[in-house]
Amino acid sequence: MTLSAATVSVSYGPDTVLNDVSLGVEAGEVVTVVGPSGTGKTTLLRLLGMFRRPDDGTITWNDTDVWGLSETERLAVRRRISMVFQEPSLFNAPVAQNVTYGQRVREPWRERIRKSIRNLVGDRTLSESARDALDTVGLLDKADQNALSLSGGEAQRVAFARALAVDPEIVLLDEPSSNLDPRNTAVLEDAIRRARERGVGVVVATHDMNQAERISDRVGFIYDGKLVETGPPSQIFDTPNDSRTKQFVDGELMYDVEETTNGQARKSTSVSP
Amino acid sequence: MTLLIQVQLPDGGWAYILSIIFVSLQVSVTAVGVSTLVSLPVALLVGFTDFPGKRVVTAVINTGMGFPSVVVGLVVLILLSNSGPLGGFDLAFTPQAMMISQFILATPVITSVSLSAVESVEQSVRDAAFAMGGTDADVGLVVIKEARYGIVTAILAGFGRAISEVGSILIVGGNIVFSDGQSYTRTLTTAITVEARQGRYEIGLVLGAILLLLVLGVNGLGSWLRSKGRGERSA
Repeated sequence: MTLSAATVSVSYGPDTVLNDVSLGVEAGEVVTVVGPSGTGKTTLLRLLGMFRRPDDGTITWNDTDVWGLSETERLAVRRRISMVFQEPSLFNAPVAQNVTYGQRVREPWRERIRKSIRNLVGDRTLSESARDALDTVGLLDKADQNALSLSGGEAQRVAFARALAVDPEIVLLDEPSSNLDPRNTAVLEDAIRRARERGVGVVVATHDMNQAERISDRVGFIYDGKLVETGPPSQIFDTPNDSRTKQFVDGELMYDVEETTNGQARKSTSVSP
Repeated sequence: MTLLIQVQLPDGGWAYILSIIFVSLQVSVTAVGVSTLVSLPVALLVGFTDFPGKRVVTAVINTGMGFPSVVVGLVVLILLSNSGPLGGFDLAFTPQAMMISQFILATPVITSVSLSAVESVEQSVRDAAFAMGGTDADVGLVVIKEARYGIVTAILAGFGRAISEVGSILIVGGNIVFSDGQSYTRTLTTAITVEARQGRYEIGLVLGAILLLLVLGVNGLGSWLRSKGRGERSA
């Protein structure tokens, strides 16, 4: 099983956000995309998550162009992938309902209605995978609590549990720990490793190089919409081939403007004097 | 001190009053129910999508909240009258005609307030639903669920507009009472106008109090639902 972006490009008006980028992930592999804010990491993840189609290039699932599939076939592929965003984006509902959301949308309507009625009359039975997912992020005891009352760290862990509860083959994580304290970051990274051990492929977009070094099998450095270099963490962080990678690793590339979630706001990254 | 108001019940007594309460609720609840079924998809469509003229559509919806009810009643009557384009349905001076006019008056209110509620749901929540494998329908349901307290407010506002309406239903309904004293198209509001015109202010006040109690009860239910929502958030 492989999810890949092949020579993809995306532009918003005159701004090219991604330019001829190719990157893929396989089962049981953690691929990290690093680079300054606003260089196209989020846009790349949203392409892999099929939020939009690339202007050029293809997104492939096991070498099949997903945008050449029918809507139903593409939905089936989408449902083998899940995604966690920089903000947890939880629903105003108990944690258990948040975590089981992905499972519910995969069920036939009759079953969904039946479960909704059972839930209304107080049946809060958790499925095994939802229970496992909450246990993985250490929040099984919060299952009945309203998700909006959780702390930022707990909320992000619930978002990760929600993504794991559907037994995905690929998980896409967009800056998953940018708002987390060190303890919650450690819990999340441990959960990522456990997911990888279960054969889940993970793509993480981050500008936290230490995190990338800790969790990655492969790292891609993206700069100004181009994938500059990919390789194992030892190569990227110790002996990079490209001077821009070295400048980024050495902290010499400035982050000037944040990229929005849809990549429309452009930035101007620059080399510090 | 005890204040006693001697109320002379109209012909038909409490059976008459109960029948006008029933007609009022039947007409308003049906109109608001149908209006909600139309308003929610429109609010989702306008709130979700960008299209040329979106601002104009939004402005038209908002303007609709201020439709003069007598004008709506007049237009509906012209359409439903025997010589009108919909005259063949024989709906003039029926409860169904009143429902149509209340539907026209309540729909912009429910759509506009629902639209605000839908637009207040963050894009990131929609993205989360999509990322978890949701279809467009699933994403729409999530938005409705997240905006549910605003939507309840919208429905209450629409119900308030409908139940307290008098001008259009007087025109299209005709304020008809059967010879046995049972209401056909007379509602609480139109009955009050009759009692006031005949100088029977006491019974008019009683009917007004019943109307207020109905509105109060429905709004109390809405407030309870909203406070339940706030409670959930801070739980």
